[in-house]
Amino acid sequence: MRLDFTLNGEAVAVEVPPDWTLLQVLRRELGLLGTKENCLEAECGVCSVLLDGRVVNACILLAAQCQGRSVTTIEGLGDPERLHPIQQAFLDHGAVQCGYCIPGMVLAAKSWLDENPGRLPGEDEIREALAGTLCRCTGYQKIVDAVAAAAAALAKG
Amino acid sequence: MSFALHRPTSLAAALALAARHGAAARFLAGGTDLVIQIRRGRLAPAHVIDLSAVPGLAGIAGTPEGGLRIGALTTLKAIERHPAFAGGARRALAEAARVVGGHQVRNVGTLGGNVVNASPAADTLPALLALDAEAELVGPGGTRRVPLDAFLLGPGRTDRAPEEVLTAIRLPPPPSAASASAFLKAGRRKAMEISVVCAAARLDLGADGRCVAARLALGAVAPTTLRVRAAEALLEGHVPDAGRLAAAAAAAAAATRPLDDVRASARFRRHLAGVLAGRALAACLGRMGNGEAA
Amino acid sequence: MDGVATERRVVGRRLPRLDGAGKVTGRMVYAADFALPGMLHGKVLRSPLPHARIRRLDVAAARAMAGVRGIVTAADVPAVRYGTAVRDTPVFATDRVLFQGQAVAAVAATTPEIAEAACRAIALELDPLPAVFDAEAALAPDAPLLHPDWASYAALPVLAREGNIAARARMRHGDVEAAFASAHRIYEHRFATPLQHPGYTEPRAAVAAWEGDGRLTVWCNTQLPFDMQAVLAEILDIPSGRVRVVVPGIGGGFGGKLRVGVEHYAALLARRTGRPVKVMTTTEEELTAAYPRQATTITLRTAVDREGRLLARQGRVLLECGAFANSGPGSAAICMQILVGPYRTPALDLESLAVYTNRVAAGSFRAPAGPMANFAVESQMDIIAEDLGMDPLDLRLRNVVREGDLGPAGEALAGVSVAECLERAAEAIGWRERRPAPNRGKGLACSWWMTTGGSSGVFVRLAPDGTATLVSGAVEIGTGALTGAAQVLAEELGLELEDVRVAGADTRDAPFDYGAQGSRTAFSVGNAARVAAAELRRQLCALAARRTGLPQEAFRLERRAVVGGGHRIPIADLARESQLSGGGLIAHGTYINPAPPYDPTRVENHPLPVFNAPSFHAHAVDLSVDPGTGEVTIHDYVVAQDVGFAINPTWIEGQIEGGVAQGIGEALSEEIVYREGRVLNANLTDYKMPTAQDVPRVRSILVECPSAAGPYGAKGVGEPPCIEPPAAIANAIAAATGRRVFSLPMTAEKIVLGEGG
Repeated sequence: MRLDFTLNGEAVAVEVPPDWTLLQVLRRELGLLGTKENCLEAECGVCSVLLDGRVVNACILLAAQCQGRSVTTIEGLGDPERLHPIQQAFLDHGAVQCGYCIPGMVLAAKSWLDENPGRLPGEDEIREALAGTLCRCTGYQKIVDAVAAAAAALAKG
Repeated sequence: MSFALHRPTSLAAALALAARHGAAARFLAGGTDLVIQIRRGRLAPAHVIDLSAVPGLAGIAGTPEGGLRIGALTTLKAIERHPAFAGGARRALAEAARVVGGHQVRNVGTLGGNVVNASPAADTLPALLALDAEAELVGPGGTRRVPLDAFLLGPGRTDRAPEEVLTAIRLPPPPSAASASAFLKAGRRKAMEISVVCAAARLDLGADGRCVAARLALGAVAPTTLRVRAAEALLEGHVPDAGRLAAAAAAAAAATRPLDDVRASARFRRHLAGVLAGRALAACLGRMGNGEAA
Repeated sequence: MDGVATERRVVGRRLPRLDGAGKVTGRMVYAADFALPGMLHGKVLRSPLPHARIRRLDVAAARAMAGVRGIVTAADVPAVRYGTAVRDTPVFATDRVLFQGQAVAAVAATTPEIAEAACRAIALELDPLPAVFDAEAALAPDAPLLHPDWASYAALPVLAREGNIAARARMRHGDVEAAFASAHRIYEHRFATPLQHPGYTEPRAAVAAWEGDGRLTVWCNTQLPFDMQAVLAEILDIPSGRVRVVVPGIGGGFGGKLRVGVEHYAALLARRTGRPVKVMTTTEEELTAAYPRQATTITLRTAVDREGRLLARQGRVLLECGAFANSGPGSAAICMQILVGPYRTPALDLESLAVYTNRVAAGSFRAPAGPMANFAVESQMDIIAEDLGMDPLDLRLRNVVREGDLGPAGEALAGVSVAECLERAAEAIGWRERRPAPNRGKGLACSWWMTTGGSSGVFVRLAPDGTATLVSGAVEIGTGALTGAAQVLAEELGLELEDVRVAGADTRDAPFDYGAQGSRTAFSVGNAARVAAAELRRQLCALAARRTGLPQEAFRLERRAVVGGGHRIPIADLARESQLSGGGLIAHGTYINPAPPYDPTRVENHPLPVFNAPSFHAHAVDLSVDPGTGEVTIHDYVVAQDVGFAINPTWIEGQIEGGVAQGIGEALSEEIVYREGRVLNANLTDYKMPTAQDVPRVRSILVECPSAAGPYGAKGVGEPPCIEPPAAIANAIAAATGRRVFSLPMTAEKIVLGEGG
């Protein structure tokens, strides 16, 4: 099956089996390993990516569902020299421990903040926004603080 | 997983594929249930027909008679955020949509997929039953509409024929000016839960304060989402005072046929059914008191 | 003092972690991401039954499948039994399978899907055998024996074993009989805790590749690379020097990645096929065949006087190892120290049994023994307080140990801070001001824990730009412990944290480290770094002395320079000079945390009789319970933890916040549920770890009561935060509802309907 989509701002065309998920395309075919693999049943959220700007689980999204659409992975957000404000906030607030869930967390946060532009979310709203991504290290607190700080930074522009 | 994938660009083409492959085919909406079921080996379709390129299947629109038509491919997120469900008579549907999985699932998962998947624990189904939803299906013989409680036949089983596409869910206009609905759910966690029990209620009051119509539906307490007509009958035609609500809640608990499983015992499910039914009905009354009614 | 600046500039500060940028950008490569060209994928066939005789195992059809490159079974591997305490574990089941999930065969194929299909194509015929599924049943005289050959297994000499008892240990002192005879009141309760998964988000994964000369490299996410090296050498029957273990990155462990998991399968398949092989667990394997926290049943009997002083404690711990002993003997025995708690106990008689059953071979999830035994003792403390009409805080303060008291093994306790922890946690939660309110309650719990020993070695090299590389065999599992160790090194060398790089865990290139376990990494690696730094300071001061003609003692290291006698020579200059003339600046340091002396007459067959550099802590929680649904909502959570010295408060808070979140899961929602030896919830839909909405904001109070041994007085901090949550939450639920739950998890159903459904 030929799949044409936009990945991190660039047009991509790949030939993949029809039963592959987006996660398989990203990790196996394209070597983009920032999108993590774990439960494969949309329960843990480490595979989160943005589909047309909204966070989705790449593990249960068939690659075919991305036909003609735009996918953003953590590699499309910032790099170590030019961090995205959300990534910077995660570092500044000590929100990263083992880090395996963090790409998914950052993208879940970005999706919510983009969906609610200019909004300074309360703690409960942030927790709701992140509930689809499990973190076993941090207890979420510093992640919540980081997202609040990122929202403020983004609102200031 | 191993299947052929089809991506029709018209409803006619989708129907033709369905007619050709029959029970060997499954329609793909958001895929958030289907892909997991295929991976777990519960379903093994040889053909998957992706409906996402079929025009006109997503979106929420008013109907001439004052109801709503929700395209089958409308995402749960779109329902959660749509003003038609933000308050008033149809709020239960947004409340149910909002607690399905995480944002990741709700950004993709669709109402039509939820309905066709027909899980007894599905959160949106009690809300839809409370709102008198109808399934709109298109098949080789044309379009038909089926009341949702007749559409849901068992776990994973519906009245949809393999060659039919669920195109929309239709909600009629509320029968009275004073109408409110509510959805509640109990699980082991506060998020990312398959309901241990969920309940949706709707109350419509006449000008005299009597209940014109009552709806009460429960999830995860029977092989299908359960509409509790006995409870509704206790309320309709009466002023819904505390005694009536308690009796309705007790009737709801009594109507359940729950299972013991890893999530809860049958006994606890029955208990929760009564608690949530009573609270959902009370929430409806509270919302009317707050002037929130449609 | 010995060339080090007196003002602390790096330790004690909230500095960012060294590996953060790679993690937030997705650039960090974890073991689960690791791949080699030409790599095959391995899958493991596991037993569907809890106890059965293998009638037939035929791999021919699977071997013939397109894409299958190799299969290994027990017939293909040396008849080695390995194990931590008891060498009872085979690589694959031989004649019998002992639990649902035990490995029977492994397949390597060109894709994971083919390997999985090939596993399904293996003909495995099993004849079911009678089985035992709980520890009590396994002790019955006629119970089926898991290991009929138990007596022939090698084991730690300290262990007392017999039949299904993998280890029996005892701690006792004082006249228990007399104390119970004279008691004002006697309390006896029984508590139960279930199997709980560590819940790391990265599956266990390994890539193995053999070089032409019989050398093996394994890239994997183990917490203990040197232990892994030794175990793989044993299993593969080659000298350990031929095994190299590298940990590229590890996505959490919490004790679940201590022991060999998939590494040996990858290595055996790679040897069989001549190709690199990757094996990674599925979630189903994680929940049936990982190393979850052991299930326990604890009976605790306590005698008190009229004023609520503890007179004696008696009790029995049944800890279920599952099919293989693994860390069970140690965990069972440590339960006894936690059951004593940080309380003065004049007379004591505790027994612990680690017992085999036909369930998963369990392991050492964060503070193994801690949450289970603390749930028992701290629940009972509240029951006693209520019965005596005392405030639970007062009852605790009346009984807690004080500086210089003896611990349960007769060791002298130092750095004792439990009273302060209790008082500060209670004050923060508003304990004294609490008012009875319907369905709302506050709860307290306190405990103690060890800073595990084991040695650490480091190399430190100064580059010509004046920066330092810390080469350590320790594993950064996410805690920030190696950022902490790097802070210690920077402090001791007058550098900034950004001047230090940490080289990753690689058994070929790095010095030995006992591994990421037991709250020891920052403590032990930090101390080894201090030793190496002292040697580097000596070298630098000697170079400065040679250059200036002043005595070496005139110099100290400060702000990236060697300073003294009016001179300020950049470290970079001296490092460059040394590189040209003296082979560069390099030093090593080693450290082992010594075990304190204790009274051997108090302990029998205990593999870990005494806690090194113990820490003390107290938790306080304010919650409400929905009387209709049983839903628990936590409003406030306070932890007062004695960390000795906070090397980096941010990462310590991170440990506390994360540990409490895990503890909330233990308390309220997490359980691997078995029916007749089979797991009912082998997926994350029904294994319920807390989400962001289930965890409250946690307020951390860092108490600093220094230890004698830790860097700047630091104590181990990583494990303790998950010990007290179940007990504190149980006590608060009891306060809110008047009902007490005696088994974990305290589900809504148990709260509303009572236990036993």
